[in-house]
Amino acid sequence: MAQYFLEQARVADFVAHLLASNTVYAPHRKGSRSYAFAKADDPAAVVLDYPRTLSSVKKFFLPPREVLLNFDLTLDAASVPPVEPGNAVFLGVHSYDLAAVRRLDFNFTTGNPERNYLARRDGARFIGVSYVPDKFHFAGSVGIDPYDMTGCDMFLTKHADGWIVDIPTGEGSELAAGFKLEAHDEPKPPRAHFTQHVFVPQARLGKVMEASYDHPVWNETADACLGCGTCNLVCPTCYCFNVQENVDIACTSGQRERSWDGCMLRGFTEVAGGEFFREKVAARQRHRVYRKFKYISDVTGQPWCVGCGRCTASCTAKISIVEIVNRLIRDSERDESILT
Amino acid sequence: MAKPRVAIFDFTGCEGCELSQLNFEDQLLDILAQVDIVEWREAMDDKADEYDIAFVEGALSTPDCIKRIHDIRRRTKVLVALGACAVDGGVNAIKNLHPIEEVRATVYGQDQYLFPTLPALPLSAVVKVDYNVRGCPMTQAEFLRVFTSLVMGKQFEEPDLAVCVECKLNENECVYERGMICLGPVTRAGCNSHCTNFGQYCIGCRGLVSEPNLKGMNEVLTSHGLAVDEAWKRLQLYNAYRLQGVRA
Ligand code: SF4
Ligand code: SF4
Repeated sequence: MAQYFLEQARVADFVAHLLASNTVYAPHRKGSRSYAFAKADDPAAVVLDYPRTLSSVKKFFLPPREVLLNFDLTLDAASVPPVEPGNAVFLGVHSYDLAAVRRLDFNFTTGNPERNYLARRDGARFIGVSYVPDKFHFAGSVGIDPYDMTGCDMFLTKHADGWIVDIPTGEGSELAAGFKLEAHDEPKPPRAHFTQHVFVPQARLGKVMEASYDHPVWNETADACLGCGTCNLVCPTCYCFNVQENVDIACTSGQRERSWDGCMLRGFTEVAGGEFFREKVAARQRHRVYRKFKYISDVTGQPWCVGCGRCTASCTAKISIVEIVNRLIRDSERDESILT
Repeated sequence: MAKPRVAIFDFTGCEGCELSQLNFEDQLLDILAQVDIVEWREAMDDKADEYDIAFVEGALSTPDCIKRIHDIRRRTKVLVALGACAVDGGVNAIKNLHPIEEVRATVYGQDQYLFPTLPALPLSAVVKVDYNVRGCPMTQAEFLRVFTSLVMGKQFEEPDLAVCVECKLNENECVYERGMICLGPVTRAGCNSHCTNFGQYCIGCRGLVSEPNLKGMNEVLTSHGLAVDEAWKRLQLYNAYRLQGVRA
């Protein structure tokens, strides 16, 4: 496939070119040392070389909060607010975040298709970028290469002087049309190595998890865990939500609102009658890890964790999902039945 | 349906919560249209014998407070605690950290015998409280949710999750990333992470979550190189009553 080159000095011009005919979302600086996807407006503010964003692009398809229904109590009527199709360009997406979008696509098309997610997802075009793994990334262990361009319409690979450009789809060619890119025929620079690894592939993880239901790691982790739910809320493949209804002060009209929720939260496990079906933090932590490496994976054969490292990087208690999983692997491998 | 009869009372506090009700300017007429306010010292002179809903602000800190709150509880069907003082004892409970006689002598000097005083208590330490509106001053959006739930005869579901949740929904950079102490991980959300949205740290005014992991919190502070004793002083600002007997 033909390759092109984008000099670092022309990145802002390229963003401006995209902005001329598209809505573009891209990483920007946020706070003192973080990054977040935001609507691009000033090309110079877009950052392509970043470790990870606080939230993934998931937030554009499954927003943190959204209104599902407007109702009027005096008229006894309700209406579903229209959902705008996305039709946007997502620039600067890492391969693990795109892998996460594919997982969400699966979750939201299996069973009842999720109308709002699919509508927002419609027309999305992705321009991926490579990244250098930091001390939290472990995507390589779950089979997602930093140069993987699955799902991308364009892909930018970091080079000393700029970016090597791949254009694998017709949509990508349309995005690039009218912007001068020189052909480039040298091979891509070698990938930087991951420093974090999960020791075994998914094919064996299901068994490891099965053997680890009563492992002491769950209680030990629970001693440090604050049960704050951060690890769920930053995860690009988590999709649990809560639904609440609120009425206006006159009690005549209101809204049904959906917002992100998480299985680490105590209230998430509360059901009618005041029962808690996973009252202990240890049980919730196990559930979280099983949701990434067992429950959905048993059905799809794939890890539902994409190795972005967000949960570990964002945990104030510094609880590491890689350490938990590797400890389970080590201990279960001592058990003969798993080895054979 | 007859309009609910509402009464509003205050105990030991700054009356900031009641004032924030009066600040509802735009909504005040809508509120009044749905209830009959039958007693409210701060805004009117009338007194009533019975009410459907009593909104009560402030902590209990004198023998007289205890008598009055029992009296209010007898007269009302539903009792709502308004603000950090009523819900958790609030800043008043800092005095509980010192011997009560010493506190009394320091505050009232030679007139101390004219002013009987007790360790500060949240309303729930003495009477049954049906709903809480937390915050210092109380979170207005939460007041509206409690209010509309009561008018509609629905149960209000009190949030029991950490401020971290709202920080994540708002995609804020974690305050710990900026090297500051934040009480968000053990403090009840419901404020839409108001302070951290504006670059501040959480001071814990909405009180602790139902099961705070305080040992874990100490570890978090230590591993970030932050002062545990400073953090505990901040925790006690609003949680001195609940943390009585609990050590850093
Ligand atoms: S982010 Fe860390 S402290 Fe918070 S719930 Fe997850 S593991 Fe526990
Ligand atoms: S489980 Fe953690 S590392 Fe895996 S995808 Fe979710 S946030 Fe990323």
